[in-house]
Amino acid sequence: MELDGLSVDQAPPISAPVRFFIAAPIFGFIAGVLIYFSDSASLMSRYSMESIVITHVITIGFLGFIMLGALTQMLPVLVGARMPKVAFVSKYSFYLLLIGIISMIIGLFKHNDFFIFLSSFGLGSGFLMMLGSMAIALKGVNNFTATVKAISTSIVFATIIVFMGLFLLLGYIGGNISEYQVIVANIHSVWAVFGFAGILIIGVAFQVLPMFYVAPKFKSFCKKRVVWLISTGLFLWFFLSIFKEDYTLFAKSWIAMFFWAFSTTVWIKLSKRRRPISDVTVWYWRSASVFLTLGSFLWIFDEYFKHEYIVMVAILIGGGFIISIMIGMIYKIIPFLVWFHLNGLGYMSIPTINEMINKNLAKIQFVLFLAAIIGFIFSFYMPYLLKVSAVSFCISMIILEINILAPILIYKKTLKSKPDFDMSTFTGISS
Amino acid sequence: MSNIKEYLSTEHTKCDDLFVKMEETANMSLEEAQKLCKEFMEATEHHFQIEERVVFPKFEEKTGMVEGPTQMMKHEHTQMRALMKNMLASLESGNKDKFFGYSETLMILLQQHNMKEEQMLYPMMQQHLNAESDDIVDMMTSMKTEY
Repeated sequence: MELDGLSVDQAPPISAPVRFFIAAPIFGFIAGVLIYFSDSASLMSRYSMESIVITHVITIGFLGFIMLGALTQMLPVLVGARMPKVAFVSKYSFYLLLIGIISMIIGLFKHNDFFIFLSSFGLGSGFLMMLGSMAIALKGVNNFTATVKAISTSIVFATIIVFMGLFLLLGYIGGNISEYQVIVANIHSVWAVFGFAGILIIGVAFQVLPMFYVAPKFKSFCKKRVVWLISTGLFLWFFLSIFKEDYTLFAKSWIAMFFWAFSTTVWIKLSKRRRPISDVTVWYWRSASVFLTLGSFLWIFDEYFKHEYIVMVAILIGGGFIISIMIGMIYKIIPFLVWFHLNGLGYMSIPTINEMINKNLAKIQFVLFLAAIIGFIFSFYMPYLLKVSAVSFCISMIILEINILAPILIYKKTLKSKPDFDMSTFTGISS
Repeated sequence: MSNIKEYLSTEHTKCDDLFVKMEETANMSLEEAQKLCKEFMEATEHHFQIEERVVFPKFEEKTGMVEGPTQMMKHEHTQMRALMKNMLASLESGNKDKFFGYSETLMILLQQHNMKEEQMLYPMMQQHLNAESDDIVDMMTSMKTEY
């Protein structure tokens, strides 16, 4: 049985996840700026260059970075798997991904083949380095829990979508986009949202909801079957969308039903949580649950409206559901990481995790984020809302960055000032 | 046959119950919460003692893994003891914000600790100490009166 995760000196260095977390809101901000300078007509089409670039700045620069950062930290804790050479892999894959995403923005907007090629190299090598390292870590796990299965499945989907993404990106060199590439783009996006991000979130929720909120554990059926059932639905949808397009609604309903069931379960579990404390992270889980429900149903109905609402589905699920969960998670993870690492170094008189992030600032950030997502949705009918929503989104990202940096500055300051070690820990408890 | 994993996991749940009750009470009365905090600390300390005095040494003896996972778990016990001590002190001084700061920190530390034990360490212990499972559970039960 793999027990490396239980060894303190084998835990990943704090820099491994943190550099991803610090970079994420910067890309969120860039996406907001790009939305501000776009018009809602261009954004209505999922295949417009603006939509493609903005989508990837968010999915890779924001969501991808947070997911990869969180996984480096969570694999040892949640599943007892240690990524080989985690410090090296996380550092170099981060820089490769950074080069990749920036080159992608330049390459696609400027139709520059060199930057598109550089982007393919950066994104391909960066993602595959991280995913490969995670796959090796998971291979050594003998206790194959529901979370391990979900994370492993999501990594398989992630690897496939990376190759699809590279194929699509390199397709822009020369600029001839065939109908075949449109089919690949469709599979790439659905598998990225439901296969990679969706299954990953479900698997992590199995552990994290009971852990953070003392919520009831997920039912055995849910833990044993849901990932398998969703994956089946995604493969079924893949075959139907290629060979029997008229029947894709069946597979879409199948996938959407399980995600709707998941969002309802999350809501119920939070309502039944034994710990009554409510903070902004609970609000994020709840908003994610609502957006996922709306997005799942709209994805089905969109089939009857010639995919007129697909961008709205993307905002609801990609923005409302996935971004909400990511922000909710990092608000919990970063202060704990800082506390855990400082404490592990022997610093006992340090702020508690509740004191590291300004609660009011976190609430303002949530409200601005929520207003932005709702504004983006309604901007389809009221285009004038697009700019104000983009501003709201940008400000929420600036505040998020402040909230992420606050605990990290505490960490840096503590290491720099080196306060005396508090030896009271070793004097036992007074009861 | 008695099961080490089940026995220790049940203790985690009992401690969680006391923790939740303590936090609920602290929302209304810090004085009332002090009593529950002491109860929670005693139950948790009892659980730590069972692990550190009975089951960890048996496991270390059987596997020879002295500096491995048990060491990490003992390190986290030390961290939690300090947090519990601070939590009680903040209740005694009537500082509600501090109390919830410590309780939030302890909660996450405790839950991720329990998760590592229940999903990795206990199954491994059960596997290695299966033949002595009954005796070990008897020893752990007898510590209830002793501690």
